[in-house]
Amino acid sequence: MLTLPTLTSTDFLPLWPALILSAGACLVLLSEVFLSSASRSFQPLLTVIATVLGALVAAATVFSVPTGVFGGFVVLDPFGSLVSLVICIGVGLSALLAPAFLRGRQAERGEFYALLLFGGAGMSLLVLSNELIFLFINLEILSIATYALAAYLRRGPRPAEAGFKYFILGAFSSAVLLYGAALLFGATRSTLLPQMGAELARIFTDPTLSDRQPLAYCGLALIGAGFGFKIAAVPFHMWTPDVYEGAPTPVTAMMSAAVKAAAFAAMVRVFLVLGRGIPGDALLTGFSTLAFLTMIGGNLLALPQRNVKRMLAYSSISHAGYLLVGVASLFVKSGTTKGGVLGVTALAAGATPDTAGALRGILFYLLAYTVTTVGAFGVLGALERRDDEVRGFAWDLDRLAGLAQRKPAWAVAMAVFMLSLGGIPPMAGFMGKLLIFRSAVDAGLVGLVIVGVLTSAVGAYYYLRVVVYMYMRPAPEAGGLPERNLSTELALVLSTVAVVVLGVLPGITGTWLSRGGSVFLGR
Amino acid sequence: MDGISITLQHYLFLAALLFSLGVFGVLVRRNALVVFMSVELMLNASNLTFLAFARDAGMDVGHLPALFVIAVAAAEAAIGLAIIIAVFRSRGTVNVDDIRTMRL
Amino acid sequence: MTTFLFYFFAILTVVAAAGVIAARSPMYSAMSLVGTFFCLAAIYALLLAHTIAVLQVLVYAGAIMVLFLFVIMLLSLGEAVGPAKVTFPRVVGGIASAVLFAFLVVAARPFVPVGAQPPPSFGTLQSIGAQLYTQWLAPFEAVSLRVLVARVGAVVVAKSRV
Repeated sequence: MLTLPTLTSTDFLPLWPALILSAGACLVLLSEVFLSSASRSFQPLLTVIATVLGALVAAATVFSVPTGVFGGFVVLDPFGSLVSLVICIGVGLSALLAPAFLRGRQAERGEFYALLLFGGAGMSLLVLSNELIFLFINLEILSIATYALAAYLRRGPRPAEAGFKYFILGAFSSAVLLYGAALLFGATRSTLLPQMGAELARIFTDPTLSDRQPLAYCGLALIGAGFGFKIAAVPFHMWTPDVYEGAPTPVTAMMSAAVKAAAFAAMVRVFLVLGRGIPGDALLTGFSTLAFLTMIGGNLLALPQRNVKRMLAYSSISHAGYLLVGVASLFVKSGTTKGGVLGVTALAAGATPDTAGALRGILFYLLAYTVTTVGAFGVLGALERRDDEVRGFAWDLDRLAGLAQRKPAWAVAMAVFMLSLGGIPPMAGFMGKLLIFRSAVDAGLVGLVIVGVLTSAVGAYYYLRVVVYMYMRPAPEAGGLPERNLSTELALVLSTVAVVVLGVLPGITGTWLSRGGSVFLGR
Repeated sequence: MDGISITLQHYLFLAALLFSLGVFGVLVRRNALVVFMSVELMLNASNLTFLAFARDAGMDVGHLPALFVIAVAAAEAAIGLAIIIAVFRSRGTVNVDDIRTMRL
Repeated sequence: MTTFLFYFFAILTVVAAAGVIAARSPMYSAMSLVGTFFCLAAIYALLLAHTIAVLQVLVYAGAIMVLFLFVIMLLSLGEAVGPAKVTFPRVVGGIASAVLFAFLVVAARPFVPVGAQPPPSFGTLQSIGAQLYTQWLAPFEAVSLRVLVARVGAVVVAKSRV
C-alpha cells in the first residue's frame, strides 16, 4: 500500500551544496561546545572551507542534465547550480569580512558563522525549489538566519531594531506569498510548479475553466508582492535602508549579495515556470512597472544620502530595478505588439524572445553585483569604528575623505567597486548592465532600457562622489586607521580581482553562462 | 449559493476576511506583539484557504501545506519573540512608533 | 447542521480576530487569538481536516500561544494602552485592507466549486502521514533544518551578552 520513494544519488546531487553548508554550520556549532580557549580563528576558516566546497560542488553540477528530483520538489538544473555557486561565493566573502569586524566588538562567536552557513544552505535550497511550500520553507530558513544575524550585535539599539524591522516585514511578506500560493493551489490543484504551469495554461485556454482566472491572477499578484518585499523592489522597499544600515556590516554584505541573488533566482524560476501558460502582457506589465519604479525610486532616494551605508542600501534597490528589466524581458511574447507601460515596443520583425539570453544576463549581473557589493560593504565595515556607531555618522562620506593617502590600496579597491556599481567600463557592473540591457532591447523593451540608462547616469553621480571624497578631499586629522587584517584584505583583494576580471574578460564565464540559460521547466 | 448550504465560497470569504484583518493589524497596530499576532492571522487565513480547496477538490494533498505552515509558524514564533525580547531589552518598549533611532 | 455550525464558528472567528486587532492590551489580543485558533480548528473539522484541526489546537493554540503569553508576562506588557484614536495612517490602512478584501472576494466569487466526493481516507492521519513521508519528504527535511536554524537563531538573539 505505501510505497516508499526510492532515492538515488542523482536525487541528492543538487542538494550537495546545501548539505555541505549545513554540515559546516553544525561543525562550527559543535566546535563552540568543545572550545576551551578563546581562540576562534579556525571558525571563519571552517566557514570559508565549507563555502568553497559548496561552490565547487555547485560548479560540478552545472553541466548535468536538467531534471526534477525528490518527486519533483527539487530541481537539478544549470540555472540553480550557477545561482548556488554565486550564493556560496557571496557567503564565503561575507564570512571573510566577519573576523575583524567581530573581533573589534568582542563578539566572536561560532553561532555567527553557523547562521551564515545555515542561511547559505537555505538560499541554495531556495533556488532549487520547484514547489511552492518547499520554497516557502526554504525562504523561511534563510530569513530566520538573516533575522538572527541582523540582530546579532547586542550593544546599542540599532542591530536589534534592524532585526526587528526585518522580521516584521519578512514575516508579513512570507504570509502574503503563502496566501498567494493558497489561491494558486485552489486554481491549479497543485503546488508543484511545473504542474501548476500546465494547469494555468489550461485555465487560460479552456473556456470551461475560465472561472478560475481571477483566482490565478490574484494568486500571482500576491506571490509577486511577496517576492517584491524580499528583493526590495519599489514600492516594497521601505525596510531596506534601515535594515541594511542597522545590521552588522558583514551581514549587510551577505544580505545584499547572497540573499538578494537567491530571492531573485527563486522569483525568476517561479514566474518563468508558471508564466508559460499566462497569455497576454500581464507578467510583462507587472515586471516592467516594478522595474521602472524601482530604478527611479532607488536612484533618486540614494542621491541625497551622505551616509554611505544607506546610500549602498538604496543602491541595492536600484540594482534590483536593473535586474527586473532583465526579468521583464523574459516575459515578452513573440506576438506582443505594444501597449504595455513605457512604450513596450514590438519585437523586431520575425524575432523570437531570447529567454536564454536574458537569463544569462541576469546570472552575470547577479555574480557581478555579488562580488562588487560584498567588497564595497567590506571596505565600509573595515573603516567603521565601534564608538561612532552609536553617534550615527560611522558611515558618513567624510569618513572616506583622503582615504587615497591613508590607505591607497583600499581606496583603489573602493573606487573599483564604486565604478562597477555605477556601471562604468571596464568593470563587471558595466558588463552586467550591458548584457541585461542588450537582451531587453532585443526583446523590444526600449523604453525601459532608456530609463535604465538615464537612471544609471544619475547613479554615477553618487558613486563617483565617493571616489571624489577618497581622492580629492583632505584626510581628517584624527583619522585613526584600522589595523590590518588578513581575511578582510583577502576578501577585498578577491572581490577587486573578480570585479576587474569579470569586467575585462567576461568571456571566461562564457561556457558556464551559456548553460545557465537552461531552466528546468518540467513536463 | 442558495443561502442555506455552505459552499466553498463561504470558507474562501472567511479566509479573505481573516487575511484582510491581519493586513489591517500589521498596517495600523504599533505594538510589535500585536503586529506579530496579525501575521499569525494571515498565516491561518492561508491555511483555511488550502483546506477549503482541498475539501472541494476531494484531495487531501492540500492538508500538507497547512501542516508545514503550522510547523513553520512555531519556529517563526520562537525567533520572532526572541527578537522582540531583544528590542525590549535595548529600548524598553515594543512599540513600533518608539523605535525610531533609524530614520525612515 | 453544518450551516449552523459554520456560521456559529465563522462569526466567532471573525469576532475573535477583530478582537486581536482591536484589543487595547496585548494580553487581550493574545486571548482573542487563542479563541480565533480554537474556532478555526472547528472550521477545519467541518472541512474534514481532522488531523490539521488537532494540530491547530495542539501546536497553535497550545504551544505557540503559550510562548506569546510567556513573553507578554515576562516583559509585563499586559497593561492596556490608551483608547484607540482615528488617525490618518489608520484610515489609510483600513481603506487598503478593505480594498484588498474586496479584491479577494471578487477573485474568489466566480470560482465554480468542484464539489468532489472525498475518499474515505480523506484527511486521516494515515493518509497525511503516508504523503508526508513519501512525496513530501523534501519539505519535511527542510522543516527540520528550519527548526534547527530557528533554535540557534533564538539562542543567539535572546542571549544577554555579545
